[in-house]
Order: sequence, then structure tokens, then C-alpha cells
Amino acid sequence: METALIVNNSASVHRQEVNGHDEHHHHETFLTKYVFSQDHKMIAKQFLITGIIMGVIAMILSVLFRIQLAYPNTAFPFLQTLLGRFAPEGRLDPNFYLSLVTIHGTIMVFFVLTAGLSGTFSNLLIPLQLGARDMASPFLNMLSYWFFFTACVIMLSSFFVQKGPASGGWTIYPPLSALPKAMPGSEMGMSLWLASMVLFVASQLMGGINYISTVLNMRTKGMDLWKMPLTIWGFFLTAILGVLSFPVLVAGVVLLVFDRSMGTSFYLSDIVLNGAVLPNEGGSPILFEHLFWFLGHPEVYIVIMPAMGIASEVMAVNSRKPIFGYHAMVYSLIGITVLSFIVWGHHMFVTGMNPFIGGVFMITTLIIAVPSAVKTFNWLATLWRGNIRFTPAMMFAIGLVSFFISGGLTGIFLGNAALDINLHDTYFVVAHFHLVMGSAAIFGMLAGVYHWFPKMFGRLMDEKLGYLHFWLTFIGAYLVFFPMHFMGLDGVPRRYYAFTEFESMKQWLSVNTFITWAAIMSALAQVAFLFNFFYSIFYGKKATQNPWNANTLEWTTPVERIHGNWPGEIPTVYRWSYDYSKPGHDQDFIPQTVPFSQTMTSNLPHDFEDDPDVEKLQTEWLKQNSQEVK
Amino acid sequence: MNQSAVDKEKINFQPKKFNLWLFMITSFMLFAAFTSGFIVYTQGSADKGIKIILPHAFIYSTIVIVLSSFTMYLSFRSAKRLQFDKQKQFLWFTLILGVGFFFLQFYAWTVLVKMGVYLINPNASQSFIYIFTGVHLVHIIAGIILLINSLVGSYKNSPQVKNLFRLEMASIFWHFVDILWIYLYVFLLLNQQ
Amino acid sequence: MKFNKSFCTKIFISGIGLLMLLISNITLAQDSTPASVNSPTIEVSSASDTMWLGISYNVLIFLLVCIIIAVVGRILKIYDLTLQMQSKKAMDWNKIMSFGFGLFLIVGLYGAYWEYTVQGSMILPDAASKHGVAIDEMFNATLIITTIVFVGTQIMLFGFAFIYRGSQLRKAHFLPHNNTIEKLWTIVPAIVLTILVVFGSLTWKSIMDVPVSEQKSALNVDVTAHQFAWEVRYPGKDGKLGLKNSKLYSSNNKVGVDFKDKNSYDDLTADEIVVPVDKPVRVNLIAQDVIHSFYLPWFRVQINAVPGLPTFFQFTPTITTDAMRTKTDNPNFEYKLYCNKICGGNHFNMQKVFRVVSVAEYRDWLSKQKPYLNDQLRKELKMAVQTENSANKNKLAFNKI
Repeated sequence: METALIVNNSASVHRQEVNGHDEHHHHETFLTKYVFSQDHKMIAKQFLITGIIMGVIAMILSVLFRIQLAYPNTAFPFLQTLLGRFAPEGRLDPNFYLSLVTIHGTIMVFFVLTAGLSGTFSNLLIPLQLGARDMASPFLNMLSYWFFFTACVIMLSSFFVQKGPASGGWTIYPPLSALPKAMPGSEMGMSLWLASMVLFVASQLMGGINYISTVLNMRTKGMDLWKMPLTIWGFFLTAILGVLSFPVLVAGVVLLVFDRSMGTSFYLSDIVLNGAVLPNEGGSPILFEHLFWFLGHPEVYIVIMPAMGIASEVMAVNSRKPIFGYHAMVYSLIGITVLSFIVWGHHMFVTGMNPFIGGVFMITTLIIAVPSAVKTFNWLATLWRGNIRFTPAMMFAIGLVSFFISGGLTGIFLGNAALDINLHDTYFVVAHFHLVMGSAAIFGMLAGVYHWFPKMFGRLMDEKLGYLHFWLTFIGAYLVFFPMHFMGLDGVPRRYYAFTEFESMKQWLSVNTFITWAAIMSALAQVAFLFNFFYSIFYGKKATQNPWNANTLEWTTPVERIHGNWPGEIPTVYRWSYDYSKPGHDQDFIPQTVPFSQTMTSNLPHDFEDDPDVEKLQTEWLKQNSQEVK
Repeated sequence: MNQSAVDKEKINFQPKKFNLWLFMITSFMLFAAFTSGFIVYTQGSADKGIKIILPHAFIYSTIVIVLSSFTMYLSFRSAKRLQFDKQKQFLWFTLILGVGFFFLQFYAWTVLVKMGVYLINPNASQSFIYIFTGVHLVHIIAGIILLINSLVGSYKNSPQVKNLFRLEMASIFWHFVDILWIYLYVFLLLNQQ
Repeated sequence: MKFNKSFCTKIFISGIGLLMLLISNITLAQDSTPASVNSPTIEVSSASDTMWLGISYNVLIFLLVCIIIAVVGRILKIYDLTLQMQSKKAMDWNKIMSFGFGLFLIVGLYGAYWEYTVQGSMILPDAASKHGVAIDEMFNATLIITTIVFVGTQIMLFGFAFIYRGSQLRKAHFLPHNNTIEKLWTIVPAIVLTILVVFGSLTWKSIMDVPVSEQKSALNVDVTAHQFAWEVRYPGKDGKLGLKNSKLYSSNNKVGVDFKDKNSYDDLTADEIVVPVDKPVRVNLIAQDVIHSFYLPWFRVQINAVPGLPTFFQFTPTITTDAMRTKTDNPNFEYKLYCNKICGGNHFNMQKVFRVVSVAEYRDWLSKQKPYLNDQLRKELKMAVQTENSANKNKLAFNKI
């Protein structure tokens, strides 16, 4: 019944696709349209919804361990009902606490902010903003999603194994992760974690290869690299980072798997565990840290760069101003991309590394602050003298900038090797990265969801609920993470199950309770988003073709979101995407598809530097006009 | 298959070939990670390192894979000159040489074991030999599958564009695994003893 | 619409799936309950009753809040509509949000100030070690710079959001780029960061790159980390620690001291770490099972303990535990050693007392420590029987001093 309806529906869609390109999928069924879809827009939606579900799960995990930190001495019977053996007598098991922390981190970093963010918006926007019918390889794209989905299922399934999920922290440093007897989570849970991660990396590589290939090969006529919106630059450089760094994680994981199951000694040496001397000799746990962080550091830029791109686009559209310093923005993204490969050692300052090498990593780390500062100032300059329209997307983009500043500045402390001695692995670090890559990237993702919701579902999300969601989340996130800096400055280590065992940490118990309630508040605020999101898919206000008066190509596609994106020919691009409020033009935006010959009143000298024909036209027009004036 | 569909696929070839190049970059990064891991590990202390002369089997397998690359090239050239029988012939040669390489690597492992160089080894520099060759063999398997695919395709009566494209993909990848092996072998040779 | 309908079913089906997952989760959880906890069933059921009551209470409150929000939303909408009907200006949400940002700026800045003063006074006291003072200076300089930037940029961000709120009457100022100001804000941060890098590097090098001659004159303390405790070993009269080899581990030889090395005969074992004030201490670290981290926040000391890879940290404590007690006005104050690298279930409670005392007190304390090579261990090491006498003599000699 349902499938029959869909077939009819797709048939009607076909009829709309007038004579242009020949259509590829003549028999779309429910399965090919919604499940094993090869349409980039559907895959984007699949990534988004899976990402949101994973995000909610990871958020619930964080609330669980926040409850433990706030009330370390109280038993909560419902925890036992909910978690069973992991919370005997209503109190979290210390090992399970570490599992919660680990899985929260893994899901948030990889499944939500890598796959959920890049996967959604790269898939949605790369073809739409560049003017392509679909990705370079739609099949690979579909495979990418299903690998990701399988990885999610495996990761979550680890909650159902006897000894619980992986619990060595999301960085899974061996020997803790390599020795099944070191902690319960290092048994079956760790194996599932590794399996899930290998599938995840495969998914990201397929996605990344596709994104790069699409950006380089499938741009529409006139769309040269310097006319691409900053979103695309962000996604493109993110994909390059992923393609170059994820294989390194695979290398580290392969060696770890050999250590775990074959008895090799890549990472293991001189180990006495629970009174038993292990035969392993000669390995180096630091080797894993090098391999892990060679991925791990680019990974944090994989998380933040798409968010930066989205924020740049959203802020330009809603300030009705061109993004300030487009070229500087691109160059700083490129600078971040290159530098991110040579800073990984700053995660390892206190591993006993050679002081000279530590010094080198410190220099590279602090250099990376320069392009970040340039980006921040350019965003501020974009707002300056703008005509700001506070859509929920714009508010989240502003929130991102605020978090990026607050979290980025503390990075200057942590990148300084001398200061890192005392701050390493304390709550200061937790506060730093939750602001700069956690909250900032999530805000970028939410800004993207609010902004491009009409392109995904043809409807608008409710604005008022968006405001409520923004304020509760924004304030909540600051209330949660700002006090954590001071805990870190008091030397409170992260990943501690309870602060009751040390006299000096007891003063933070009340602060912890406060943080937990702030966290619960911001978690509940997400209900406003979830309701808004799912309700608007079906009953939201119908969107117009270009609801935000934006310049980019995706808003020239029909509201119906057809397969192949444009019914007729793909439009040609004549200008960059940031001609907002151009003096001399009657409207405050000029879409990229409008040629300069139609905007004679507003053209500026540098608009046609590379185009002598248009320049000629313009000078002639100017001559004529000046005669008329005379 | 009508003409327009063929044209469309032809248009699609370019990005697919590009995808293959990108994939080769990722797998090169994988090996770059392994080899840099080897360097970091081996420089950890003086008693680490390969410490042996690599078995001769590796020389033989290198000769075999270089030869197979050459026959692959001949096959592709024949296909371009529309000599389909020769194409199939050389493709068969390549396939046989590829499988031969696979077994030579296995043989090299048995020689290593006889020399007392085990995978499970307190000197993990020696374990790395198995990792390098093992992960490379995974690539060889993928290459052999591509070869079989284009071989089967060459017996079907598919359009020349498609035949050539398939062969080109297989040949690019096969040359890549060849070069990869030479890189690994030279790397190991430079680090032996 | 049809698209939406089918999507609705999909959501519905997945919803059912999720629900079933949840139910199976709960049943699974309850399956294991009777096995692990053999408590009387009646009590459990009554406890679970109150529990469900509490949960439903909270859920009800949450639903109530949702309803109130929905009602407020409706009222606002109706108010908005009536305004429009009376041909007055509709509610300007853009303006309201810009005021929101303005308000957030003021409240937020006050909040940051409050945090700096109230929670800022709860942080660690001044460093109790020589190099820690340098770190603190570095920290303060960085803090001042970043606070200025923090306040300035946040004021600009929310200030611009407040001032430049949109209006129909105005067009934004078209400003695609300005090379001068862009160069300025590339170069200024670069210079500031260069200064920080230079001073940071110097501080870092002075802390971590201790000259060998100074290393030799320091008091050596050997710390072995394992799940979830620290084993401490002091050198005996010779001032040298014996070699270790984890393969020699036994229940009597917990850190695997190698007694082929004669330096190890007079080594001492201790329950806490005690060091003399104003004397350089070199802590030698190794882990036996997983990575741990030797963290003494009061001294700004941290270094990882890695299995198979010895590390060390050399520092000079400057404030004794007693002095710190008076300083912090806390008679029970103790310096504590934390483990700061996730190492397993009891990671949060892997502590050791670290005492800094005067040199005289230190000598006194050291003379009371027991030798590592105790009688049981000697029995176990039959090899050592020959050397037993000499070891005894050593010990006696040491005790006399």
C-alpha cells in the first residue's frame, strides 16, 4: 500500500523532470528510495537522523555520569532498573562509569560530529552548492552510510555484552585497552569498539574520497575554486584531512588487534598484571599514542572545520553582508589543515618525550592559533555594520563564535608545554575541548540544520522553539563548562569516578551538583529541538524556494527536491556567493547565477578582473551612462 | 543499453578514476603510518631492528610482481590496439603471476619462521615484516579480484569503452600494488641488519 | 504529502523498534538483578514502587513545563495577531533577540567576573616548588593576555549583534575585505604568540632539560605504579638505587628489584613519599601494567609512568607540609599524589601521601624505614644466601649511623 503510493509519487516527480537529462531510476521502491537510496539528499538525511539519534544517546550517557559526579554517595534505584548489573544497588559501577565516559566521547567525536556533521552537510551541500546532479559515485556514497550505520549498531551493541562496553577512554591507550584483564571493558567491549571503528573509518574514507572527487571534478560551469562558498571549502579540506589521517588510525588499530589477539608486542612491554608476569617484551605504548594522535589531532579539525564553513555561510546570509576577507578565510582553513598534521605531539607533553621535540610541537601548536584568530576576527568584521537577521541558524552561528573564542583561548594555555605539565588531563582540558570543538561544532551543526532544513524537507522549522532551544542550550553549555576551568586549575583530574576520596577535591562537590543540573537543563532543552525537528518534517510551514534570500546555488533548485537536483540544465555561475547588500543594486542579494551583464549598476572594478569581455561591456555601459547623465 | 546511457557512463568514468587515485593515497597513508611506526619503534633502543638478512624469496617475489606489471601494461596496450586475444592472454599471465606472488610471499613467511623470526617476537621490528607483507597481501587480493573482474569482462561482449575502463582501473591499481611492494621491500632492505 | 506519510510510517516503525530495544534492555537488566543481589524481594518491590513514583513525578513536572511553554507560545502568538489586527506593529522578534544578546553580554561578563573571583579563589595555592613559580608566572601572563582578548572579542561579538540588528530601512555596509586591517590582526596575534612561545620554550626547557650534573646530585626516589597503588623505594647508604626488571616480580619482590645489582641490597621501602625541603628530588618512574600518571598539582609536577619505558621528573620542593598547613589554614592538609591517566576502575582513588619536611626530620624518617630486602624475600632468593652476610653487615652499619 505504502510502496504503491511512493511509486506513484516518484512517477509524478519524473513527469516534472522535463526533457532535460534522462532519468536513471525508473522503478523506485520504498527500499531504493528511503533505505538503499543513492540520492545524495536522502543519504544526507539518513546521516543526519542517525547522527541525531546517536547524539541523543551520547547525551543521555553524559547525564548518567553527571548524576554520579553530583551525588557520589546517593543511591538511585532507577539506575539499577535501567542499567542492571552496571549499577548495583542504584550506584554506578566505577568501571561502568568509565565505559559511559568512553562511549560518550567516542559517539560524540566520531559518530555525531564527524559522520553526523560532515556526512550530512557534505552530502547535502557539495552537489547542491557546486551544481552537480549527484556525488561522483552515488553507490560508494550509499555504502558509506551503511558502513556508518553498521558501525553505530556494533558500538551500541557493546552495552549488551556481559562485561560492558569499552572503558579505556576514547583514546584507548594501550596497555589498558590491549590487556583484556586490565579492566572489564577491555574484553569483548573493546573488541566491539575496534570492529566498529574499522567500519567507521571505512565509511569515512568512502565519504571523503567522494567529497574530494566531487569538488574537484563536478563543479558546474563558471564555478571555479575561488567562487566556491566557504561551506564547500570547509567540507573539502575536512575530507582531505580525513583521507590522509584516518588510515593512520587503522594502522594503529591493526597493531593493537595483533597485540590483543595474537600476542605480539608492538605496544606491550614488561607487564605484571594481577600478579602474573606477561611474556610480552620490547613494545612501546608511546608508539600507539603517536599513531593515534596523528589521526586524533586532525580529527578535532575534521570536527570543527565543517562547522566553521557552515557558520561563515550562515553569518554572511543573515548579516546581509559578504563574508569579510573571503580569501583570508580560505587561506586560514588551508593553514589549519596543513598545520594540524604537525601538532599531534602536544597531546603527549607529559609522556616523557624528548624536551626538544616537545618544544617543536609547542611552536607548531601555537602557530595554529594565528589562522584561528584570523577566522574569529573575520567573523566579527562580518557582523560589523551588518543588517542582522536573527534566525535560529544565525543565533547558533553567533553562539559558535562565542564558544570558539572562549575555548580557543584556553588552548593557548594547553599548547604551552610548560603550562601543560600542570593542566594535562585535568578538568581544564575537559572544559577547553568541550567548548572549542564540542559545543562549537554542535552549534555549527544545529545552525546548519535550522538553515538547510527547507532544502532537506521542504518545510521550515518553528522559529520560536528555535529561540528557546538556542538560549537554553547556549546558557546551559556555558554554565556546564565555564566552572570546569577552575576545577582544572585546582588540579582535579578528569575521568575520576568520584571526588570523595581526596580531601582537597571535596570543595568542588557543590560545583559539580550545579554543573549537573545545568547539564540536565540543556539536555532537556534538546527536547524542544527534537520536537521541532520531527514535527516540522511533517507539519512545518511550507518553505519557499529561497526562504533566506541567499545567493548560493542550492536555493535555485525547486522546493520539491527532485532526483538530479535541477529539472533542466544545471545553472551557470558568474560570481562569488557573497554579493549581499551590494551598493547600487536594488535588492540586498545577487544570486551566483546572475551574470554581471544584468547588474551593471552595482559592478565593482575587481568583479571582472579575469574577464576582459565583461570589462569591455562595463566600460561601454559606463560611457553611455555618463553621457546620459551629462 | 542505448547510446545515451553509454555516453553517460563515459562521463562518469573520470570521477571514478579519480576516486581510485584517492583510494591509493589513503592506502599509501596506511603504509606510511606503518613504516613510520616502524621507524619510531626501532629507534626506541639499540636492540630493536630487523637484525637479519631478508630471505631470497622476497627477491623472487619482487621479480614476479614487476613482471606481472609489465604483462599488465602489455595487456592494456593490446586492448587499446583492439587486439582482444592478446589482451586476454596477457591478462591471464598477469593473474597467474599475481597468484604466484601471493604464494611466494607465503613461502617467504615459512622461510622466516625457519630462520626463527616469528610474528610473536620481543623485537617487534621483526613482527613488522609480517605486518607489512600481510597488509600488502590484502591489497594483492583486492588487485586479483579487479584482475578477475576485467578478465571476466573481457570474455563478455561489453562495449570497448567499458572494457578499456575496467582494464585501466585494474591496471592502475595493479601498478600501484607493485610500486607499493617495491617501496616496502626497499624500506626493509634499507633497515635490515 | 505522500512522501511525508511514508516517512511517518518509517519513524513509527523505528519508534516501535526503539521501544522494544528499551524493553528488552530493561528485562535484560532485571534478569541479572536476582543473580547478583539476593536481597529480600519485598523490600525491592516497595523500593521500586517509590522509585517509579519519583520518576513519574519528575516526568509530570517536565510535561507540565512543556505545556506551560506551549501555552505561553500560544498566548504570544495570539497577542501578536491581535496587535496586527489592531494595525499596530507586530512583535519584533529580531529586536527581542538582539536585546537578548545585549543582556547576555552584561550578565555573562558579570558571571565571568564572579567565576574569576569566587571560584578563582578555590584553585591551587602558589606553587610549592622552584620550577612551579616559573610556571605560575607564565600562567599569569597568559591569563592576562587571554582575558583581555576574551573580554574584548565577546564584547565585540555580542555588541555587534545588539547594535546592528536588522531593519527594513537600512542596508548592510558592503565590505568584502580590507587588507590593512587583516594584516594587522594576523601580525598582532602572531607577535603575541611568538612572545608566549619564546618564554614558554625557555620555561619548558629549564624544567624538563635538567643538566646531568644536577641530576646526579639529586635525591633519587623510585616509584613504581601499578593498578591501583604506588610502590616507593629509596636508595640506601650508597645513594644509588638498584636495577629493576619486571620479570623478577614475585609477591615478596613487588617491583622486581634485580639483586644481581649490588646497589639494590641496601634499598629501602616506604609507605609514603617523604622528601627534604629545598633539595632537588628526582622521581624515577615506571609502570608495571598500564599507563599511569604521577601528578602532584601543588608542585606543578606531572609525568606519565609507562610500562617498559622509564621516565623521571626532577624538581625542588620549597614549602614543607607544615608550612602549607599554616598557609592554607588547614591543620589536616597533606600533599597528595594523584594518578592522572585513566588506569582502570579504581583510578579515582589511586593516591599516596607526599610529605615535604625539613632535612633533619627527613634523616630521622629515613632511618626508620625498612630495607626492601626483607627476610622473606631473602628466603625466596636462594641465590642470595651467599651474600646474605654482607647484606646484613651493610644493614647493621647503616642502622648505626
